[in-house]
Amino acid sequence: MSRDFLMAALLFAAAAALAADPSPGTAVSFLACPVARDTGPDTDLCFFAEHDGHRYALVNPPDWGGPQLKHRVLVEGRVKEGPAICGAIALEGRASVIAEIDASCNVVLPFDGVIKGVAGGVFNSGTQEQRAFAQDLARRAALDPSVSVEPAIANPASAPAPTPPFEHRTLVITYPFDSDRGSGPDMVKLKDVVTFIKVANAKSVQVVGFRASSRLSDGSELIERQQIAEDRAKKIASILSGLGVDERLVHVSWDPHAIDGNGDGDWRNRKVEITVEP
Amino acid sequence: MFAAIALLFVSAAGIDVSADTYDAANSWWRPGDQRLMPASADYEDALGRIRIVNAGGSFATKDHAFFTPLGTNGRACVSCHQPSNAMGLSVETIRRRWEETGGKDPLFSPVDGSNCPNLPQAVRSSHSLLLDRGLIRVALPWPPQSADGSLIQPEFTIEVIRDPTGCNTDPVYGLNAKKPYISVYRRPRPVANLKYLLELPHGVPPSDFLFYNDKSLLPRNPETGGFATLQLMSDGRDLTPRIQARDAARNHLQSNAPLSDKQLAQIESFETQVYAAQAFDKVGGELTGAGAPPGLGPEALEKGAPARLGNNPINRIFGSFAMWQSPQSSEAGADANRALMFRESAARGADIFYLRRFIINDVGKYNDKGLGNPFKRSCGSGCHNTLLMGMDLAPGYMDLGLNNLPWANERPDLPLFKIVCNSNASPQSYLGRVIYTYDPARALITGKCADVGASMTQQSRGLAARAPYFMNGSAANLRELVDFYDRRFNIGYSEAEKVDLVNFLSVL
Repeated sequence: MSRDFLMAALLFAAAAALAADPSPGTAVSFLACPVARDTGPDTDLCFFAEHDGHRYALVNPPDWGGPQLKHRVLVEGRVKEGPAICGAIALEGRASVIAEIDASCNVVLPFDGVIKGVAGGVFNSGTQEQRAFAQDLARRAALDPSVSVEPAIANPASAPAPTPPFEHRTLVITYPFDSDRGSGPDMVKLKDVVTFIKVANAKSVQVVGFRASSRLSDGSELIERQQIAEDRAKKIASILSGLGVDERLVHVSWDPHAIDGNGDGDWRNRKVEITVEP
Repeated sequence: MFAAIALLFVSAAGIDVSADTYDAANSWWRPGDQRLMPASADYEDALGRIRIVNAGGSFATKDHAFFTPLGTNGRACVSCHQPSNAMGLSVETIRRRWEETGGKDPLFSPVDGSNCPNLPQAVRSSHSLLLDRGLIRVALPWPPQSADGSLIQPEFTIEVIRDPTGCNTDPVYGLNAKKPYISVYRRPRPVANLKYLLELPHGVPPSDFLFYNDKSLLPRNPETGGFATLQLMSDGRDLTPRIQARDAARNHLQSNAPLSDKQLAQIESFETQVYAAQAFDKVGGELTGAGAPPGLGPEALEKGAPARLGNNPINRIFGSFAMWQSPQSSEAGADANRALMFRESAARGADIFYLRRFIINDVGKYNDKGLGNPFKRSCGSGCHNTLLMGMDLAPGYMDLGLNNLPWANERPDLPLFKIVCNSNASPQSYLGRVIYTYDPARALITGKCADVGASMTQQSRGLAARAPYFMNGSAANLRELVDFYDRRFNIGYSEAEKVDLVNFLSVL
């Protein structure tokens, strides 16, 4: 076999592999071990998971819950157009940690010098004006320990105070599989709803918890535990009450039947719906 | 007695003093002593001097509830919260009291100053945990009780596997007693710099009303109605200084009567305006004033804003140490050179603390609270991110590996428990449903399987004055503390880096 033929064969194989990558918009849903990858001495780790010969990046919205070694992860998403993340195919979706321990999920890839993280975190995000503000604050903080950089951190800002006319309002909070832990940004939105309830002098608040099943790409089904819809609803109701919402206004219910999944964005069915009638 | 106490009171304006003025051996504050609690005072410690700032101004301690025996065993709050020990209690001080009093000091009361009240109290071995590790017995009811006294149904069973103190298997004090108790052994936490522990985090919504861990509501402070931080105690069982004072008076001081409002107000007022930090190092010299890192000394703590996030690597938890990186000295001689070298070492240690990332893995109630497992951070940007204080800002607990096997240091002197969690309980994320632990910690309050071994991070100030470290005293000194982290997280610090870290921690 000539060297040229071998090279051509390798190039063809590489091209075939590229062509075999799922196209943007393709839905995937699978269980797998997450793999952690070191991205350099000054940056955090990133995660991916392998499925059907492809690597998919595991990226969730802030505080939705990072993947964990020692646990499998339920990946539900659609292939996203754009550059690879963590050396893997980018997904638009969610990755949920499965609560039970799986000791076989325990691979950390060392830094390879190629796939690098971005250092600086929040100080590299936001507008130019925000970055300048953050950098100035950081300079002052270096000299005075009582100066904090908190004002520069891109926390989810609360919504402006609601003004009349007040209209029907709904907030949907989604959850990782079998979990009743809402993300920080969603809890900030919930606090905004509390403000709305009080300012609008709301007549009623409906809190409905749901559980769901996830249809995996191999055709199997993963169903959340029976109690979780109730747990989610009661937890949201307790937060509303704890933040000063009159319990008499709040009607709490849950659907014990799991919403059927179809393998395309089933994470959206693991939710609590909060509806406010002003 | 006063003549024998060689404390030097330093005015708030600061009086230049020499190191040999101080006398650690005579710095013991005995309950009931009628003294002046000065606005500022320095006390000799193993590595230099600790400074206590009493921001409310000097006052006479006569009849002050913090300094007066309030129970039947002769102890006062000050017994375990000594100014010379950064408002905590060092094992060196404990041993000295044992020797000076032949074990008769109220500190060694049978109730919790011995390994178990059922032991012969006159012998040293009955007080070995206090004398060797600085540990006070904490007896907690089993099953757990909520604040209103109602029983909490635990998610797990607990079995005593090893009972070197005999207390957990004792028919009167143990798990099978008519009123079952579990005895665990913990270090007294320093009662200083409390404003940083009692204020909820700014700028980290929604941690101003929710636990970061599971996004459930924080408990309410019954006195103010506002949300409480849970940072005060290692297991979060007492939310405020007043609640803790009531608990301590009943259980540690053996008071038969509840504290009066006046007594509670005195204790709370004092505890929330006292600041402690190292102010002088025997090698490095003065730690405050011109040319010193701005976060050192208690004055920085007094003026600092509490509950702020020090978000390394940009924001320095204890301020910049840059002025010590290339220090200049107008003095000559070997001492001056040693001081310069020490300061450079401490500055390198600060950089390691602030910047050197390592992989943090399998920490229950930490990696699993949304951060991911593993997670890669430095000491400062990970668990010790509160500006000027160095505990975890967002209220939460974690099982660092201090209490639970397999990570905990081998401790044959402590009881060992086997926890078996119910099959329908959420497991401890990395240990599962069968856990061996020296102290179930937060789980003894909540009854939750996932909380087994989890405790709240501590403040990092005044360390030089209050060894040993960690809630069970498993690090006898700062080097052992650094070695624990190095082993636990496989960091791979070099010998020089460990020295630098120790020097840095010693000046806090």
